[in-house]
Amino acid sequence: MPTAVRAALVGALIYLFLVGVSSLEQGIKVMGQDTQEQLFSNVSNPIAGLCIGVLGTVLVQSSSASTSVIVGLVAAGAIDIDMAVPMIMGANIGTTVTNTLVSLGSARRSDEFRRAFATATVHDFFNVFAVAILLPIELLTGVLSNAAGWLSESLVGASGSEWKSPFKEWVKTPVGWIEDLESAIGLSGTALGVVMVATGLVLIIVSLGLITKNMRKLIADRVERSMNSVLSKGSGSIAMLLGMVITMLVQSSSITTSILIPMSAAGVLSIRNAYPVTLGANVGTTITALLAALASSSPDALTVALVHTLFNLSGIVILYVPRFVRGAPIYCAEWLARLAATRPVWAVAYVMGAFIMLPLVGFGLAR
Amino acid sequence: MVLSFFRKSPRGLEHAVSRAVGMLGDARHSFDLATLAFLTDTSAAAVDADIRATDERMNRTEIELRSELVVHISVQGTMDIGSVLGLILLINKIERIGDQAKNVLDLAEAGAGLANQPDSEALLAERAEISALFGEVADLMVEHDDGRFEALNQRCEQLQASHQAKIIGYLHSEEPGRAVVPRAIYYRYLNRIVANLVGIVRAASEPVALEPSSSVSDLDE
Repeated sequence: MPTAVRAALVGALIYLFLVGVSSLEQGIKVMGQDTQEQLFSNVSNPIAGLCIGVLGTVLVQSSSASTSVIVGLVAAGAIDIDMAVPMIMGANIGTTVTNTLVSLGSARRSDEFRRAFATATVHDFFNVFAVAILLPIELLTGVLSNAAGWLSESLVGASGSEWKSPFKEWVKTPVGWIEDLESAIGLSGTALGVVMVATGLVLIIVSLGLITKNMRKLIADRVERSMNSVLSKGSGSIAMLLGMVITMLVQSSSITTSILIPMSAAGVLSIRNAYPVTLGANVGTTITALLAALASSSPDALTVALVHTLFNLSGIVILYVPRFVRGAPIYCAEWLARLAATRPVWAVAYVMGAFIMLPLVGFGLAR
Repeated sequence: MVLSFFRKSPRGLEHAVSRAVGMLGDARHSFDLATLAFLTDTSAAAVDADIRATDERMNRTEIELRSELVVHISVQGTMDIGSVLGLILLINKIERIGDQAKNVLDLAEAGAGLANQPDSEALLAERAEISALFGEVADLMVEHDDGRFEALNQRCEQLQASHQAKIIGYLHSEEPGRAVVPRAIYYRYLNRIVANLVGIVRAASEPVALEPSSSVSDLDE
């Protein structure tokens, strides 16, 4: 496919993605207040919210998709910012499962697996440490949501008000068509809302998947060249910026972090070189939620998207900038990788436990 | 460096091929110097540092290229696996030529050189012919041409057959060992260098040969 056509296709897919977010928001609104309260009463506990964020992201294998849905829920008023923040943090943890699964591909070759698994799990440890530090601080002080609220207010207006998003206007017509079409087949009330939400979810997941696929093809040569530069002479900050730019363009941190795994397995990329790329990917992936917030007229949606960005930036400031703590996630990842390399069953147990069992138990206990 | 992300530049594999061509240029440089020291009065000590530095550069390039090829597969997927395999094979062969040039230098440094021999002119002409082959191989690496490859392959087969005949002749010669052994060893290296040059073009065009080449044994490589 010619580059120009592919670029135009990506533009159309971004539009489709915004239609999906708006359809989801509209569907939630159509459901009515009672249904919303029944649906989301279980996630009022922050730990339950965190666990739902992890599980939801593991399920769709994309934090971009799950955070966009969370933004849509906030925009519709189904959940508030306080409920959404732990879910966003959970999504950050959940997204790391993809590159960990990729690393399991080399489980039969001990040395390769040790390197690959360490590079994959350094992302996990960073995100878990960041949540362990920032979630309690956020719950006690609201520092992230307050800062994001202030930024959001400066940009589009105060919480509770409505701002005239041009993107919202652009997607209004197709969302109206979706609603009319589903009403025409006899749906109304909660049923109409559920189908609109499902349509929105499908549009979000499909369009994000296709955006990622096409953008990856569009920028693959540039990514390759940049990775070679990082390997030969890149500093941590350059690697981080590169991880961020690549992820912003492909709209998927999993793509960026998964690229690193075979390189680490082959021994051409050390965990110390891969780590900052991963952190950049963490920041870059927040662009999708910001984009989703543009499809809404609620300043709260933008606030939640900004919390996602601020959370990842704060994590870097706390866990990467000070040299004395920088090695902590690397140390833990290498320790776990050594263990997993001796008996790969530990790696499987880790994936199942950390990304499925623990969040399920956490949700069960905390809801 | 981040801004360079947005600049247009050659595709990954094109870049790797151009670096491999540069590596072949280094191998030719080593070959020219080593054979010059072996066949003429040029002091082996004078070219030693240059050849060893070139060899180190080639080894470094080989490692960097392998790393670039791993990055290529990681980023682009397995679509180019054939070309990547071919490149890995050919950089290995180029690196071997560098080693074989070094072996010729070792022969010269051991005092077994063939300067001022009755057939010096023929030996130097043959050296020039093989040196020119490096240029042709470089051209074929960048732009494969079946016709040119076939012609090159035939010439190389003739050269190898002639080298082999000479080696056999020296093995059965009545002349003293001092006269024939350096020549036999020299022709053995030339034979391997020519085989590796053909192998480079073959690896670039058909990385997974369906019929194994019988002319190159494991021990020879």
